[in-house]
Amino acid sequence: MLFQTELFINLREIKMKKLLTLIILGVIGFSVQAQEKGSVLIQNATVITITDGDLEDTDVLIRDGIIEKIGKDLRAPRRVETIDAAGKYVMPGIIDAHSHLNGVDINEGRNPVTAEVTMEESVDPNEVGIYHALAGGATTIHLMHGSANVIGGQGETLKLRYGATQEGMKFKGAPRTIKFALGENPTRVHGQGNGVQPRTRMGVEQVIRNHFNEALDYKRKREAYFAAQSLYDRRGEGTPPVPVAKNLRYEVLNDIIEGEILVHCHSYRADEILMLMRVFNDYGVENYTFQHANEAFKVAPELAKNGAHTSVFSDWWAYKFEVYYSTAYNASILNANGVINSINSDNDQLLRTLNHEASKVVRYGNTSVNDALKMITLHPAIQLGIDDRVGSIEEGKDGDVVIWSGHPFDIFSKAEMTFVDGKKYFDMENDPDDMRIHIDPGTEFEDGANFRQIVDNRDEDTCLQDTFILFDQQSAHNHN
Amino acid sequence: MRKFILFLVLLFVGWSGTYLQAQTTPAHALTNVTLHHHDGSLTESATIVWRNGVLEAIGTSVNIPFDAFEIDGGDSLHVYPGFIDGLATWGSPDLPQSQDLPRLDEPGNPPYDRAGIQPERTPSAIMKEDKAFETGMKAGFMTAALYPEGYMLPGQAEAFYLASDKSEIELMQETMALVGSFEEAPGGWTNGAYPSTMMGVMAQFRQLMFDAAALQQHMQYYSQNPEMPAPKRDKVLEALFTLVNQEKPFFFHVDQKEHIERLLKLQDEFGFDVVIVSGKEAYAKANELKKRNIPVLAGIDFTEMPEWYKKQKDAEDSEEETSEEEEISEEEQAYRDKQLDAWKAEVTNIKKLMDAGVAVGYASAGMDLKEWPDKLEILLDEGNLTEDGIVQLLTINTAKILGIDKTHGSLVKGKNASFTVFNKAMTEDKAKVRHAISNGIIHQFEGN
Repeated sequence: MLFQTELFINLREIKMKKLLTLIILGVIGFSVQAQEKGSVLIQNATVITITDGDLEDTDVLIRDGIIEKIGKDLRAPRRVETIDAAGKYVMPGIIDAHSHLNGVDINEGRNPVTAEVTMEESVDPNEVGIYHALAGGATTIHLMHGSANVIGGQGETLKLRYGATQEGMKFKGAPRTIKFALGENPTRVHGQGNGVQPRTRMGVEQVIRNHFNEALDYKRKREAYFAAQSLYDRRGEGTPPVPVAKNLRYEVLNDIIEGEILVHCHSYRADEILMLMRVFNDYGVENYTFQHANEAFKVAPELAKNGAHTSVFSDWWAYKFEVYYSTAYNASILNANGVINSINSDNDQLLRTLNHEASKVVRYGNTSVNDALKMITLHPAIQLGIDDRVGSIEEGKDGDVVIWSGHPFDIFSKAEMTFVDGKKYFDMENDPDDMRIHIDPGTEFEDGANFRQIVDNRDEDTCLQDTFILFDQQSAHNHN
Repeated sequence: MRKFILFLVLLFVGWSGTYLQAQTTPAHALTNVTLHHHDGSLTESATIVWRNGVLEAIGTSVNIPFDAFEIDGGDSLHVYPGFIDGLATWGSPDLPQSQDLPRLDEPGNPPYDRAGIQPERTPSAIMKEDKAFETGMKAGFMTAALYPEGYMLPGQAEAFYLASDKSEIELMQETMALVGSFEEAPGGWTNGAYPSTMMGVMAQFRQLMFDAAALQQHMQYYSQNPEMPAPKRDKVLEALFTLVNQEKPFFFHVDQKEHIERLLKLQDEFGFDVVIVSGKEAYAKANELKKRNIPVLAGIDFTEMPEWYKKQKDAEDSEEETSEEEEISEEEQAYRDKQLDAWKAEVTNIKKLMDAGVAVGYASAGMDLKEWPDKLEILLDEGNLTEDGIVQLLTINTAKILGIDKTHGSLVKGKNASFTVFNKAMTEDKAKVRHAISNGIIHQFEGN
């Protein structure tokens, strides 16, 4: 593909040569319009519905972004493109419940609690990795804050509408989420790196409890202030109250306690997983997912009892001390115990092959193919609170689907076309070399041509992006 | 008849003015010059008379007062309205080096200054000597809004009558605006502090606005109820009251399209007036800026022209037969096309904003003035702007955005005597500033 075509687009400029415009708009259906919805009729495919089995020789009609009809011999409405997918598979777009794909910054790592910051304000819509992810059949990601802090920033659920603005990428109506982190990362960054609490796992628990208590205290004081102020303003008598300023951090913490925000907690060890469930039970927090959770299999019944979810790697561990103890059967054990589990990437490269990751769950733990597929579709959708819209192929749901050359768990299968809201964002047949939206005019070709290098080594915990230097600082500090 | 009366009136006004002023300061008159007006029009063989910093008369039929010190322009000099820098960092104290900042005990709760929160700072209070003042005058800048260099809230913008020497610079208007950016706290990873990211800056900004609003409320209550606990005064938060109350505009240094979107989000939340400073990608949001009536004090600190494009242009200019065509791959050609598109988008930013009906002025916004001649040339050659357009940008447009157009931005009687005398039209080769008249005071740069 490298020298095959000189097709390129510059969405920012919309100054494409006319011919190119026609080709690109016609074939790929690209546009600068955010949240544009498309229509398409996919015919004769094996449709992996997730919720209603696999339907052979079946058509899927998507109109204006919504799956309108699933059935046989459907007719395409006027001007709706028809794609013959005979011998191919159609599955729901892959959803990654743990990604840092296109964050401008990942860690606001200077305070153990930063609930007030949000990845909503750290979205880079121009990241070419979005296109690479589409080429792997992914359509939705959970863009997360990193794991430097006990209570990190809020996350943002994004649809991979490459070419849209940051606002246009948002998964409208998706619930708010927030990142928590237990164990080594926050204790190393803050306790050992900066000499502030938490330095130990005990400290991590106390940071959460203390901040929840402070937040509740703030809420009481703020409500009392409003009540007193309203009395004073109305009657003009007595002494006015000392104002209590709105506090963004505590407001968010209260929203967590009140169940308005889904917690996604970076965690590894069984003891800390139990700890957080105890804390959450004390404060009445109900909807949460343990991310990574390599030892979750040890406490699978407890997780199921609390209705907690997990989002794990298929077979990756031992990359640091607290992750030495794990098993490739983790996902299967959790699934067998009734825990809603997903397989995530936490890595831009792995995001492109999440189908392989999910297939390992079948290979290792003999989980059913459909259950394993759920782990990259419906289950992450449930964990992000968007399962009413995506995660399966059902009439009325969003037209986020992928056409695969063969079964997605076949190692030789490729994602051939990826649709979001019925609009085609990836087409293997028309896959220009350089899909970057934005290039820096100051970068010469020799330096700028490396953008294809997307295969990262998976040698570090990407959750800790930008914060490793704090560890060095910590050792320097300790030696002083 | 009407004209005659007008003439009489003008004569009287002129005469009486002369009479009153004559007792204090003598006038200056510059004769036989070509005037380049803010709107692109020319007046040849013109005379300018000014006294006490005010233009007393200007045009072709001007009576030179008896006490005027007369300078003959000899028909070769070109006069432009004094250029205005909409926001510059000249005279700003140097920022401390990251490694010199002490390590904080609580990086998550730093003192305001360590977080880059210094809205109380004013350039007039902390200005230091800076060669940029002289360089600026030699480039034609007689007036500038200055602010202290810093981070998310570096301080206030104030307007000054410029002079080559710091001691002669005079404050023209204080607290025109608060200045802001998405710049995180200084110190990097070793000595840094919260907020260390853009999302942190946004959250911290909101929190400051909430804190300021609460303090203001407390102060109001206390002023009427001295029996209640006294508010803890805080000069940083108090400096933000103008923003909380939407009394002064927020001059926000921002380039990226996505950052502009983030800024607009904050504007929606707090309702203050915004002026975009620098705004390299502002063209991409032109319609939105027009809709919101947000002006841009645009920078011209363009990215270097792509190397290959420069060579290509040089080859074309030299008019020699191109000896050999450079052979490059299709892929590299595609990259070059894209790179040039991106570069052109940047250098035509100002023109595109003007065409879209956005109010555009100029701000150096931290650019080193050494760059000025080269960047100006790019603006002229590649930016689709004519000399007239550039003069308009540097004078009346910027004056309007700063709200000083009653006194600045054009060569009109009654306005401030702020103009520049070039040896030839400013965009001609080897054009140099000979005299710079700022607030009526002549600065000479002969022989430069």
